[in-house]
Amino acid sequence: MATDTGRGFDGDELRAGLGLDDPRRLLRGAAGVVGFVVVWHLVSLTQPAYVLPPPTAVADAFAGEFASGTMTTALWSSVRHWIPGTVVGTTLGVAAGVAFSWSGLLDDVTAPLVRTLRPVPPLALIGFAIAWFGINDAGAAFIIAVGAFWINFYASYGAVEGVSEDLLDVGRTLGVSGDLDMVRSVVLPASLPGIMTGVRTGLGRCWMLVVASEIFGVPGVGREILRASNNLLVDTVIAYILVLSLMFLLVDVAFRAVQRRVLVWRA
Amino acid sequence: MTEDDPATGGRAGGAPDSGVAADGVGKTYDGDGDPVRALDDVSFAVDGGEFVCLVGPSGCGKTTLFRIIAGLTDATDGEVRLAGTPVTGPTTDMGVVFQEYHLFPWLTVEENVGFGLERSDRSEAERERRVDEMLDLVGLADFRTTYPKSLSGGMKQRVAIARALAVDPELLLMDEPFGAVDAQTREMLQRELLDVWTSTGKTVLFVTHDVAEAVTLADRIVVMAAEPGRVAEVVDVDVDRTRERGDPAFGEHVSHVRELIGARPELD
Repeated sequence: MATDTGRGFDGDELRAGLGLDDPRRLLRGAAGVVGFVVVWHLVSLTQPAYVLPPPTAVADAFAGEFASGTMTTALWSSVRHWIPGTVVGTTLGVAAGVAFSWSGLLDDVTAPLVRTLRPVPPLALIGFAIAWFGINDAGAAFIIAVGAFWINFYASYGAVEGVSEDLLDVGRTLGVSGDLDMVRSVVLPASLPGIMTGVRTGLGRCWMLVVASEIFGVPGVGREILRASNNLLVDTVIAYILVLSLMFLLVDVAFRAVQRRVLVWRA
Repeated sequence: MTEDDPATGGRAGGAPDSGVAADGVGKTYDGDGDPVRALDDVSFAVDGGEFVCLVGPSGCGKTTLFRIIAGLTDATDGEVRLAGTPVTGPTTDMGVVFQEYHLFPWLTVEENVGFGLERSDRSEAERERRVDEMLDLVGLADFRTTYPKSLSGGMKQRVAIARALAVDPELLLMDEPFGAVDAQTREMLQRELLDVWTSTGKTVLFVTHDVAEAVTLADRIVVMAAEPGRVAEVVDVDVDRTRERGDPAFGEHVSHVRELIGARPELD
């Protein structure tokens, strides 16, 4: 069955990336974190705070930003960019990837466009974001959506391409007729592992894009990072980077749980 | 599609229209270089309820012919008729079983078996009953909620057979279905297939490269020759079932077919 679908996208290797289900791995992971913080602390003793602040300063900054409410406000604002950007970009990316990959005609028509637009980094579209949406949540969400779109477009495109011709043949002999029925009954389920890997990659990438999407003045975690950077408040920068990491982790763990449940037939 | 076709009783004098026939089937592939003639003027008929094997050396176009009969590939010349009607594409009047099973890995055993039924006009209760029947037929009732990944090769092929039979096709068309399982499982599956054939009365066209397998199973064997793929001879297997490999008549048939396809015995 592994030969049939989504070869190369293996959920097992991703499973327990954190080692949450294995106490020994959890312990080793904790040791790694503690070791890193100790080394960081030692190195920071030799450097001025604007080059590398000590972990304690970061903890203070974290607590301060949190207590003042700045952090919660910024995070909430970023979530309001991330959710619509990710949802819209992912939905359109998967839909276009599946459709263009399945339909030779659509593929032929769109291939030159796709190849032209693909190399454009989302950040280069800031002008359009401002012109079309303004300096607001929608503009930031647009940047994130563009990033999510391409990741999901290519993952889905490849996953559909990888669907075994033999499964399609079986479908045909069992009465599947028409593109819609074939896509729904065979192509989508067969390519789902690959599609979900793309979605998962996109979810993470979109947290990175949050920073970029707020570069032009929309409030959020990214905006706070840029503001702190401009003031050389490196401890605050790191505190907000930690916020992004935590959000990424939270989303990733949750999505992995969903993925495992949906793809129970593969494990 | 006829419901519970009467072919069970009609094996000897079956209605002339209930089987499958290839009539002058030819296939030419236009490659980069010269066109390749894969099949040339292949004609034979399988009567309703009959069990016919198609054997031949590798490269004789067995798989191409299988795909043409299944409606998955177009013939360049001639036509295939199922119950008198030309085959123009895949049809649920044919249950197709492939060598590598090709179960839908995201569906459980019962969902795989029920896949074709979902597209029929049967009621849900009927579909469920049919799935139950099929699972009983192949002895997998205890594995109905299992996913294919947990099944052995032999079990997967049983599911594939049940899936193909579920829509009650007129013809069971099989391409080296037991080629991927070990010898012991193969013999068991052969016996089971004969049981299924006897109890359902389906017409079976079974492609194999294994001469002994063909002699074990078939009423008649269509022996093919290569370059271009064509029918060398149609051999009647008049050996009583159940056939034993030690039986001299069995051995004679095997030798005869092997001679026709030019296979050395040790190559089987």
